[in-house]
Amino acid sequence: MISKKDFRKINDWLWGIPKSFRPDMRVPARIYVSEKMLEEVFRDESVPQLINGTTLPGIMKYGIAMPDCHEGYSVPIGFVGAIRTSDGIISPGACGFDINCGMKLLKSEYSEKEIEPHLEKLASEIQKEVPSGLGRGRQIKLSIGEIDRILEGGVPYLVEKGYGEKEDIENCEGNGKLEWADVSSVSNYAKNRGRDQVGTLGSGNHFLEVQKVQELFDEKVAKAFGLFKDQVVIMIHCGSRGLGHQVCTDYLREFIPLMTRKYKIPVPDREFACVPFNSSEGQRYFAAMASAANYAWANRQMIAHFVRKAWNSVLGEKASPLVALYDVAHNIIKKEKYNIDGKETEVALHRKGATRAFPPGHPEIPERYREVGQPVLIPGSMGTASYILVGTKEGEEAFFSTCHGSGRTMSRHEAMRRVSGQEVVKSLESKGIIVKCWSLRGIAEEAPMAYKDVEQVVNVVHQAGLSKKVARLVPLAVIKGE
Amino acid sequence: MKYEILEHKADLKIRVFGKTREELFENAMVGMFEGAQYEPSSAGTRESKGGKAKREIKISSLDLPSLLVDFLSEVLYLSEVNREVYQKIQFKKFTEKEIEGILSGKKLKGIGVIIKGATYHGLDIHQKLGDKFWEATILFDI
Repeated sequence: MISKKDFRKINDWLWGIPKSFRPDMRVPARIYVSEKMLEEVFRDESVPQLINGTTLPGIMKYGIAMPDCHEGYSVPIGFVGAIRTSDGIISPGACGFDINCGMKLLKSEYSEKEIEPHLEKLASEIQKEVPSGLGRGRQIKLSIGEIDRILEGGVPYLVEKGYGEKEDIENCEGNGKLEWADVSSVSNYAKNRGRDQVGTLGSGNHFLEVQKVQELFDEKVAKAFGLFKDQVVIMIHCGSRGLGHQVCTDYLREFIPLMTRKYKIPVPDREFACVPFNSSEGQRYFAAMASAANYAWANRQMIAHFVRKAWNSVLGEKASPLVALYDVAHNIIKKEKYNIDGKETEVALHRKGATRAFPPGHPEIPERYREVGQPVLIPGSMGTASYILVGTKEGEEAFFSTCHGSGRTMSRHEAMRRVSGQEVVKSLESKGIIVKCWSLRGIAEEAPMAYKDVEQVVNVVHQAGLSKKVARLVPLAVIKGE
Repeated sequence: MKYEILEHKADLKIRVFGKTREELFENAMVGMFEGAQYEPSSAGTRESKGGKAKREIKISSLDLPSLLVDFLSEVLYLSEVNREVYQKIQFKKFTEKEIEGILSGKKLKGIGVIIKGATYHGLDIHQKLGDKFWEATILFDI
C-alpha cells in the first residue's frame, strides 16, 4: 500500500517516489500536486499505475503525473512519459482509445453584452448544425476514399476543400496534419466507423461551449493571443471518435501477443501492449496513431466549420468571423527532442491526458505567438470555468507538458446515485447557462461534483511553472453531443 | 443476476456471471450495453422501422480472455456502424478460441455514453470451484 510517507517533497507543487521503491522501476516517479491534493491521489490506483509507467523500456528521466490525474488502465490519465526512440518502446495503451482527444478554441470580436440577445438562437443553431452520431440532425457519410484523404491530409485537406480558413492550419498543433500518417496502417473497420462521424462531438465529457473571457491574468500574452475581457469565445472538446477507438482496439489486439511472445517485454499490465518503437509493427502503429490524430483534427475543424455556419446564420453574413486561437491534443504520441544528461535525445513523448505546452521561442509555435509561448486550452467540468494557459521555459522539466482538464474524483455510477441529469441541467440554468442536449442520458455523470476543482489543478501547474494562467473562461451556453 | 456494475473512477467496470461460458459472454454483452445506457428503440414505433436486427459474428482469438475482449470489440463495431444494440446471441460454435453466432437486437435509440473499447486491464475470467458457474470482470473505456 502506497502512502504519503513513500513520497519525497521536491517542492510545494512536486512530489517524487524514488526508483528504489519498486525493483522494476527504471526511473523515479513524479507527481505535480499540492499537499492538499496529494491525499486524494491515494483514493484510486493513480500512483501504482504511474509507477507501472516508470517500468517502460526506454523511459527517460521520470514518469510524470499531472494534478488532474486519475486511475485509468496501464498508466493513469494525466501521464507523461518520454521514451527513447532508439531502443525504447511505443505503447498504444499509454496513448489510449481516444487518440487526439483535444481542444479547439475559436475567438470572436464580440462581447458578452453584444451576443446576449442572440445567445439562445445561437446555441440552438449550433446544436442543429453540428451532427450527432445517432441519426439526429445532419447526416454525413463519406466514402473510404474520402476518409483516406482526411487521414493523410488532416486540417490542410479540409481547408483546401473550403471547410475553414488558411490560418486554421497554423493555429493548430502540428498544423493539423502529422506527416507520417499512412492509410494502409488503418484497418477497414476503423475507416468504416469513421465514415459517418466526421464533424460529430461524441458523448461523455465531450462538449461545445460558448464562453466569455471572465478574467485576464497576463495582459501581454492575452494581447498576443487576441483576447479581451468579456470576449465571447467558443470551445470544442472531442477526439477521433470511433475511428480512433478502433485503431487502438486493433493494435492492442495485435501487440499484446507480440509483446509477450515475440519481443518478450515484461510489463506490469497487459494493456500497455508495447513493442519496440523502431520495429516494423511499432512504426505501423505510430503511423496509424498519426492518421487517427489527423482524423481528430479534421473532426474539430469540421465542427468549427458548422459552428461558423451557425454563427453567420444567426448574426448575419456580415458578422465578424470566428478566428481559431489554437487546437491542442491531450492523448497523443509525438517525436520530440530534448537535451537529457548533456545529450540531445529523440523521444516518443506519450501524453495520455496531458497537453503539450511549448515555451516562448519554440519554432513549432505559430509566429504570432512565438514571443510569448504556445496557447494551452484547459476545459473544466461541465458548466465550470475553463482556462487558457501559456507554455513556459521552465516546463522543460516536464517535457513541456501540462494538465488537460479537471480529472474525475467520483465514478459515473456514484454521480448517477447522487444527482439526476435534470438537477444538473437545472443547476446550470439557474446560473444563467443555456444547456442544449439531445437527452438527459449521460448528463448526471458529468456533474461538476464528479470532478476535481479545475481551479486547484490549474493553480498547481501555474505555481509549478509548467504553464502560466492567461485567461479564465466561463460558459454562457453548453452544447452536448449524443 | 447477469452482471453488476463495479465502482471505477472514470470507466465502466462490470462483473459478469453465467451458468455456461456462452451465457457469460451473452451477459457480458448485455452488461456492456446496459452499463453505458444504450437504449433500444421500442418495437412498432416510428423510429424502430420493423425493430429487429440480426448480425452474424465470427471471430477467433488466442485464448479465452482475449476471446471475450475480441467478442465485445466486434459487437461494438457492429453496433456502431449499424446503429444497433444487441440483447441476445445464438451460438453456432463456441470453443476457447473461436466464436460463431448470430446476434439479435434492435435499432439504437440513444446512448448514455459511447463505449470506446473493451480493455484487457484487470481482465479476469474463471470458473468457480464449487458450482462451476462462470464469472468475469472487465473494464470498458467510456
